[in-house]
Formats: sequence, structure tokens, C-alpha cells
Amino acid sequence: MLRDAVTFLGLTLVTAVLFAVTLFLFRSFAAHRAELAQRWSERGRTAISQGKPDQAIVALRTALSYAPDEQSYELLLAQALGDAGHLDEAYNYFLGLRDTEPGDGFINLRMARLAAQKRDTQAAVNYYRAAIYGTWEGDGTVRRREVRLELARYLIAHHDNDNARSELLITGGNNPNDVGVALSLADLLLQAGDRQDALSYYQKVLALEPKNETALVAAGRMEYEGGNFEEAHRLLEEAVKEQGDAPADIATMLENSARIVRLSPVAKVPVDERVGRLLRARDLAKKRFDACNARLSTASGVAAPLQSLGARWTSGDGSLSRAALLTDQARQDATMQLVFDTEVQTNQICGAPSGDDALLLLLARSPHPKTVEP
Amino acid sequence: MIEKEPTVTKEAEVPTEEMIARIAPGREERVFLLLSIFIGVISGLLVVSFRMAIDWLSVLLLGSSVNSHQLRIVFVPALAGLVIAVLTRYVFPNVRGSGINQTKAALYIHNGYISFRTVIGKFLLSALAIGSGHSLGPEDPSLQIGAGVASLISRRVGMSKEKLRIFAPIGAAAGLAAAFNAPISAILFVIEEVIGQWSAAVLGSIVLAAISSVVVARSFWGAQPMFRIPAVTLRDSRELLAYAALGVFGGFASLIFAKSLSYLRPKLRRQPGWSQMLQPCVAGLLVGGIGYFGLPQVMGAGYGAIDQAMHSHFVWQMLLTLALFKIIATTLSFSSGTPGGMFAPTLFIGAMLGAAVGSFEKIYFPHLTGSIGSYALVGMGVLFAAFLRAPLTSVFMVLEVSGNYSIVLPVILANTIAYLISRILQPVPILEQFTHQDGLYLPSMEEVREESNLHLEDALQPVTVPVLQGSESVEDTVKSLAQYGETKDVPAVLIHCPDGLWYAATRDELQALVTAHGNGIRKMPADLPDEHLTLSLAEQLGPERTPVLFPDLPLSSALPHFQRWPLLPVTNRAMRGSLEGAVSLQDVLNRYQKR
Repeated sequence: MLRDAVTFLGLTLVTAVLFAVTLFLFRSFAAHRAELAQRWSERGRTAISQGKPDQAIVALRTALSYAPDEQSYELLLAQALGDAGHLDEAYNYFLGLRDTEPGDGFINLRMARLAAQKRDTQAAVNYYRAAIYGTWEGDGTVRRREVRLELARYLIAHHDNDNARSELLITGGNNPNDVGVALSLADLLLQAGDRQDALSYYQKVLALEPKNETALVAAGRMEYEGGNFEEAHRLLEEAVKEQGDAPADIATMLENSARIVRLSPVAKVPVDERVGRLLRARDLAKKRFDACNARLSTASGVAAPLQSLGARWTSGDGSLSRAALLTDQARQDATMQLVFDTEVQTNQICGAPSGDDALLLLLARSPHPKTVEP
Repeated sequence: MIEKEPTVTKEAEVPTEEMIARIAPGREERVFLLLSIFIGVISGLLVVSFRMAIDWLSVLLLGSSVNSHQLRIVFVPALAGLVIAVLTRYVFPNVRGSGINQTKAALYIHNGYISFRTVIGKFLLSALAIGSGHSLGPEDPSLQIGAGVASLISRRVGMSKEKLRIFAPIGAAAGLAAAFNAPISAILFVIEEVIGQWSAAVLGSIVLAAISSVVVARSFWGAQPMFRIPAVTLRDSRELLAYAALGVFGGFASLIFAKSLSYLRPKLRRQPGWSQMLQPCVAGLLVGGIGYFGLPQVMGAGYGAIDQAMHSHFVWQMLLTLALFKIIATTLSFSSGTPGGMFAPTLFIGAMLGAAVGSFEKIYFPHLTGSIGSYALVGMGVLFAAFLRAPLTSVFMVLEVSGNYSIVLPVILANTIAYLISRILQPVPILEQFTHQDGLYLPSMEEVREESNLHLEDALQPVTVPVLQGSESVEDTVKSLAQYGETKDVPAVLIHCPDGLWYAATRDELQALVTAHGNGIRKMPADLPDEHLTLSLAEQLGPERTPVLFPDLPLSSALPHFQRWPLLPVTNRAMRGSLEGAVSLQDVLNRYQKR
């Protein structure tokens, strides 16, 4: 009995000593591994930021061999794999990560980007949506918004404008007073073909920041293209004032819009002034018609479209007096229509006009009402 | 178990000192379980140190980041191979190989003896081999280290030869459990591959030692399994087809692996001594070359790559390439005699194959939902079942490692297919081939496992001998016996005693009883009471009875009784004394000869 007691006491002592030695070695071992993991992950991070994904892959794989459960390293590695063009590998990697955390926003976003690179549109859209509704560390609202904007860009690139517009309008609804977001939304809505909403967002920006150059230029351009030359002129003038040195196209638009504002017979001006403008426009158009008619008559006789126009010019609309026009709104409209038709048809038959004729053509093509406003 | 013969007397009911001494456990039984715990704890500590040593050496020798096109990954394994060869030849001659067969040899040949030098050598040289990049694993050496610790401790404590033998598998289970962080698999593996059969005598101790070692290992490494296990699901039963395909691939891969080893290993062992000294070096150079030219994952145990495969880091083409080159690298390392295990390489190959099948499925059958990780996990079990031929362990290993029982169906399906393919195409298991190559003749665990134990019911014959009632008087007995006609050829007569037990009397014995009874009547004094003449046959026979045997008892349990009894009645367990049949010595021998 005593012998056994002594034996077990000895065994206990040996075990205790062995345990202490192992523990000491293990602590040193674990600390060294943690240090190696840290060192290699830093190298990986640096390599990614320097645009060297291949080096990052090696470094991050090493880091993960020392700290296999460190998710931040895994995400970095997957990112590096994607950056390095190892699409399948990166896709598989993220797929594995997604298996463990299917609701992670970042993972789904990366999956979406990889699916997009792999031209798997449906998967990309699905992953984008999963990312939008997924969980995010930090400011989830901002990240979800960015993902939604990214999805909208992706949809626009794939000509799915309706869905893109829906995403953009949802984003707008979630971020009512953010100038940056509104600007992005306006740009993207414009790309998606939704000019009306795009202009609304530019106007919203200008309501929040009246001197926002980008919004002034963009809204001015949109107003100009929409035939709202007066508003376009105001916005562009403001933009040029803010910018100081305007680009050539803006300067041209500004100049044209200023001239059109002065020339336009459809502007909201007193009747007397309007009729004066209408008569100047009619003279211009008539000259343009005559010149075009003369060119065509010399070459191949009178063209059929011009014959019809010529008939209108020789009828009452082309020769109404100032007094007649002043008293009759319908005749003003008919004269204006004759001017616009002349500019449009001579442009088609005799080539693009220049000078005020060109501005009249612009006015004729603008979507705004062609009738003279009372 | 054979029931005690009913010879208990009234005096025996009071426990005597002799009885107490007989029933009370002896010294060895008293210390047995406690020692198992110590063996488990010390094995666990040594295995933790062993794994640390491997990792330290790997960082020290190969650098903290092993990548292709680094010259040192070619030269380090080669130089380490040279050092290992010298030390194996001159200092630690018994450390070659994996450790499983050495442990079996210790159990069956050396009475459980494993020298301390072997333990030290196995620890150092295996750590050096694996740490320097040889394609080998740490589990089998851990198994031998555990067995060595058990052998050393039990010798120091002064255990008997019989106990020394039992301690080897106990230590082996402890070592393996700590190395694999999976106690159930370790216990099953030791039972399947080292002991070969379930033995209640050691099971308790094996469990205690394995659990103790795992508790120690987990206190260092944490409770998480060796690999990060991804989510395991089986939602679509059509996926079972993919798992079945994995079973087929695994079966053939294990066959290629086993054939390569069984071809190259004996070839290299037949080479002259100087050549054998160079073999680990050349193997290291070749394995390093594989690493240098783009596949450093095959170097060492490869747990990192297994983890990566489970988490979908590789495309299926790369996975298949890794599996192929791991087979080549392991064949080279192991056949060269470098100490190290086969466990990890087997798991590596299985994981790569499984992940390849899973990745392929994900690409070409995306509607199926199984994760690549679950395929890799099942693949590990498949190779384990087919290559190491431990089907039970392979199933439990996957279940234990994954902790998810929904994977049980794919595992059983794939493992069974792979196991059957391997068994049909490679009838002799690889571990058994190694023992034959080494000139040892250890029992085949596969045969031991599948050996059907014979029972008494297998030799049972209908009762054709006279059956008498023990309650009858001798005169009545004589009359009853007369009804049976000629009984000269009958070996014995069965007598059913009133206490429900049986007595098998030889014809001579019965004749003597009748004669003695006749003489007694003639010589009976006048004052003797009449009862003496009317004593029943059972009373005349005395208290002795044939042993109580049941049909389900082992056939061998009858053998010791034939010296005393010519025929043994076999009775029903449910009805005391109800006769099922009888067996003679000749019946038992005939049955054994029929096998």
C-alpha cells in the first residue's frame, strides 16, 4: 500500500513538472504564432493597398495558417484573390465564408462583385440584394446605401433601367437630405433615362446648396436640353459665376440660352414685345426658306416638302401684319409654327443652319410648348 | 460466462477471509484505472509537446511562410532526411515507420514492452521529419508515444506481464486521442486496429486514458476540432449520388495509394545498407521538389491545406492535383523509412478528393446544396475506411469531428462503397502488408474483427441418451432405464434433479449406484430406518451437478468440463432446467473442425 502511495506521489510530481514545462513552452509558442500571424497579415494588407494582390495572397495565407479562425484575414485573402483575378478561387472562398455567415453584408457584396466579374448577372443581382439586406459592421445605413447605388450602376450597365430606377428612388427615399447622395442619384437617374427625377434631385441639391457647381451645371444643361432656356440661362450663369472659368460647352450653352431668351417669341413677355420677336423670327425663317429654295431650285427644281412650306409662306400666315398678329393669339401660334417648321425642314433638306437660325431650330426641337404663351 | 456450480454449502454463505481475499481486487486491479488516468494525462502532455515541436521545427527550418520556388524547401527535407537516417541507424533503430504496427508488435510479441529510447526517438525524429516537410503525419507516432509512455509507467509501477500487455493499447488510445482531439475515434481505432476485438477488460481503461489525454490537449489547443468544420447539410437526397461517386473515387484512390506503398516500400528495404542511409535524403529532395515546383501544400502533415480545401480555397483541378501528388510524396517519404504517420496524409488525400467532388458538383449541379466542406469531410472518412480499413472508426471520426449527425447517411454510404472496393481489389490491408514486409506475423485485425465466435448452440445436438428423473428411487430408476432397451453404447445418462439442475452419469457410475443400493438392502441392519432404502436417485448422487450451460455461451466454455462429465446438458435461460440439447467433447471438436 505504502509502495503504491509513493509511486502515485512520484507520478503526480512528474505529471505536474511536465505540465508546467509544457505550459511554459506552449505560451511562448502561442505568442510566437500570434506575432507571426499579425506580421503576415500586415504584409498582406500592405500588399493589397499597393495593388500587389499576388503577394497579398501569399502573406494572408501564411497569416491564416497561424491564426486560422481570424475572419478579417479570411476576408482580406478572399479580396486579394479576387483582385488577383483568381475569380473561381475567390468565389469558392467567399462561398465557403458565406456558408458560415449567409447574412454577412460584406461577404455578399464581394460575392456580387465576383459574380459580376464572372458575368453571372442574376447571381450578382441576388448577392447585391443579399448584401443590402445583410448585416454590416459599423455604419450599416451608409454601407447599404453604397451597395444599392452600386447595384443601380450595375443594372444601368446591363440596361435594366427600370430596376435601376427603383433602387435609386428607394435610396433617395432613405436619404432625403444628403447632398452627396442626391447628386449621385441625379447622375444615375439621368443615366437610367429618368430625366424628370434626375432634374428633381439636382433641384433638390440646389435647394440645399444653391451654389453647388455640379448641380448648377448639370441642372442648367438639363434645362437647356429640355428647352427651358430661361432657367438654363439662370443656372448656367450662376455656375459660371461660381466656377470663374467655364468650359467651352458650358460657355456656348450659356451664350445660346442668353440669345434664345432674347430671341424667343414663346417667352413670357408682353404681347407687343412677343409679336416683335415673332416678326424677327419670321423674317429669319423666311430668309432661310428662300435661301434653301434658291439652292434647291438651282440644283433639282423645287422639292415637294418646300412646296408645301412655300404654299404656307405665300398664304396668310407668312405675311400677317403686326397689327393682325397683336390681336389674334391663334395667328401668332400659326406663324410661330410656320417658323419652326421652316427651320426643321430646311435643316433636313439644306443642312444645319447657323446663327439665329440654329437657335430657332433649337427652340423648334425643344420639348417645351411651341405656342406663344399669353 | 459460466455460472458457478451449485456447490454452495451453508457454511459458505458466511464470508470467510479467504472468500474476501478472493473477491476483493488485487493490487494491480486497484491501481489499474488510476494508472490509466496518469497515462492519459502524461500522453496528452507529450503529444501537445510533440505538435509544438513539429510547428517550431517547421518555422525554424522552412521559415514562417512555406511557398514554392524557395530553395530551402528542397534542401531542408533532404538534409533532415540524412540526419534522420543516421540517427535511425545508430541511435534509435526501432523508430522507422508509422508506429501502429510497432505498437501491435509490442502488444503481441514483446509483452507490451516499448523502450524509453524508442519513445524519445519517435518523438524527436518524427517531429524533425514532419517539421522539415516530409509528407507524413503526427498521429501514428503519437499513438506509439502514448503506448511507450504506458509501457514505461506500467513497468515502473511493477505490473505483471499480462497487465503490461494491456497497457500498450491504453496508452496508444491516449496518444491518438490527444493528437486527433477526438477521443471516440481514437478508442475505436485502437479497438479496430490494435486490439482487434472488443474487450470489456480494457475498454474502461482505454476510455479513461483517452478522455484524460483529450482533456489535457484541449486545455492547450482549445476544444475546437483539428479543422474548422463548415456548415454540413444534406437537403436534397439526390446528393447521395454524388457521395456515392465520392465513395467510388475514394476506393480507387486508396487502392492506388496502397499499391504504390506496397510496391515501393519492400523495394527500398531490399537495397543495401548505404543506400538505405540515403533514402530519406532522396525522398526529402523529391518531396521538396514537388513543393518547389508549385505544390508546397503536400509537405508536412498538410492540415493547413485540408482546412483550405474544406473552406473552398481551391478549384477542383487543383484539388485533384494535390491528392495525386500527396500520394506520391507520402509514398516516397514513408517507403524511405522516415518515421512518421499515415493518418494525416490519408485524411489529406480524402479531403482533397472530397472537396474536388464537391466543387465539381457546385459548378455543374448548382441546384444541389451540399457544401464543399461536407464533401471534404466525408472524403476524409472515405479514405480512412478504404486505406486504413477501419470502417467503424471512419464513420465515427467524421461524426465526431463535424459534430453533426445529419452527415451520417452520406458518410456510411460513401465509406461502405470505398471500403468494399478496397477490400475486393486489395484483400490484404496495407498495415498487414507492412507487417509481412517486416517479417512479422501479427494477427490480422480485419480477420479478428470479422471472426465469428462459435457458441454452444453451434454444436448442440438433440438429446438421444436416456433421461431419468432424480426424484425416483433407485428401483424405479432401474425400471425406467429398462424401458430404453439396450444402453450399452450410451455414453451417459442425464438425470433431472428435483432442484431443476442436471446430472450426467456414466453407465458405470449408474451401475455402481444400483449395485451399491442392492448390497445395502441385503446388509441393512434391522434397526436402520426404512427411509434409507427409499432415498431418491438425486440424493444418492450427492450435491454435485453438471454445470449450468446455455446455448449462447461460447463453445470454448464447455471444454474444461469434459474431463469430469462425458456429456453436458444445455438448458434454456428462460425456463430453469428445461433441456435444449446436449454436447459431448466430440460434438465440440467436430464443430471446430468444420470452420
